[in-house]
Amino acid sequence: MKNWLFRVILVAALVALGIWGWRVFFPNPEKIIRKRLGELAKAASFSPNEGDVAKFWNVSLLADFFTPDVQVKLEVPGSWHTISGRDELLRAAVGVRSAVSSLTIEFPDIKVTVAPDRTSAVVNLTAKGKVPGERDFYLQELRMRLTKVKRDWLIHQVETVKTLS
Amino acid sequence: MATNAEPAPSPTWWQRVLIGRNPKRTLVRIVVLVAVSLVLFKFVLQPIRVQGGSMLPTCREGGIHFVNRLAYLFHEPRRGDVVAIRLLAGEHVMYMKRIVGLPGETVAFRQGRLYINGQPLNEPYVKLPGNWEHEPEQVGPDQYYVVGDNREMPWHDHTKGRPTRDLIVGKILL
Repeated sequence: MKNWLFRVILVAALVALGIWGWRVFFPNPEKIIRKRLGELAKAASFSPNEGDVAKFWNVSLLADFFTPDVQVKLEVPGSWHTISGRDELLRAAVGVRSAVSSLTIEFPDIKVTVAPDRTSAVVNLTAKGKVPGERDFYLQELRMRLTKVKRDWLIHQVETVKTLS
Repeated sequence: MATNAEPAPSPTWWQRVLIGRNPKRTLVRIVVLVAVSLVLFKFVLQPIRVQGGSMLPTCREGGIHFVNRLAYLFHEPRRGDVVAIRLLAGEHVMYMKRIVGLPGETVAFRQGRLYINGQPLNEPYVKLPGNWEHEPEQVGPDQYYVVGDNREMPWHDHTKGRPTRDLIVGKILL
């Protein structure tokens, strides 16, 4: 009886170890992308007591999320604004940090569609930005296209989409 | 050999209030209540909190409302319904707007007044009128024109538009 129970426990432990190993060595791309976007929201947020050195350091961390040729197309009321390349994007991020004292970014909804070849993905997400002291929050729907470069998922296109205008 | 078992001590008043006379039955009731609440508030009456002022004064900022997700099971949305509209990525954030234009109609604003197919629409719920001007806009065959009740807001700051039917989650209970 004890021998039988030991075997069952051993098999269960081996199966659990196998599943864990599979997930570690062959992670689900959707999970990686969701985690990565969570990190992006954190990196894009900033607090009011950020010094100049910290500001530039934190902005430079954003570079890890984008391809060098990233294209960002943002619709502001009445016109489209395009940012071409990672350097211009980082300059825009510095500009935002200079214009606003602090900002909290969240992605409450993320919908990931990974291509069959598992080297690219399209993400629809809802971005929520809150500036302390302001009553309303900013809401923006975004569509991102990501590419797998080596082991990293990098954003190479961002554009605003609108359910309502 | 028979023994005289001592009678179980009767529960004190606070035990009766907290767990009832029969703890097993109380536990079953709690499980059923939790299950019913989960199903009810997830799939039937979804609670939402209002943020922003585009639906003033009908829905005040910070107010809690419920979305009746079964409202359009047997009929399509109607003009005047206040509805919850989900975004493309999910339902954690939704728009709350009023349906003013139905599929196939044209919607326009002249001097703040709403016109449907060229005819002015009586809108008793608009307590904060504005002076919006907007050329006639055609609503698609599977679309509804939605707008908030607060027309005092500038046109560009007020979110409105033509969501497709599948994005309308349900009717708001006011």
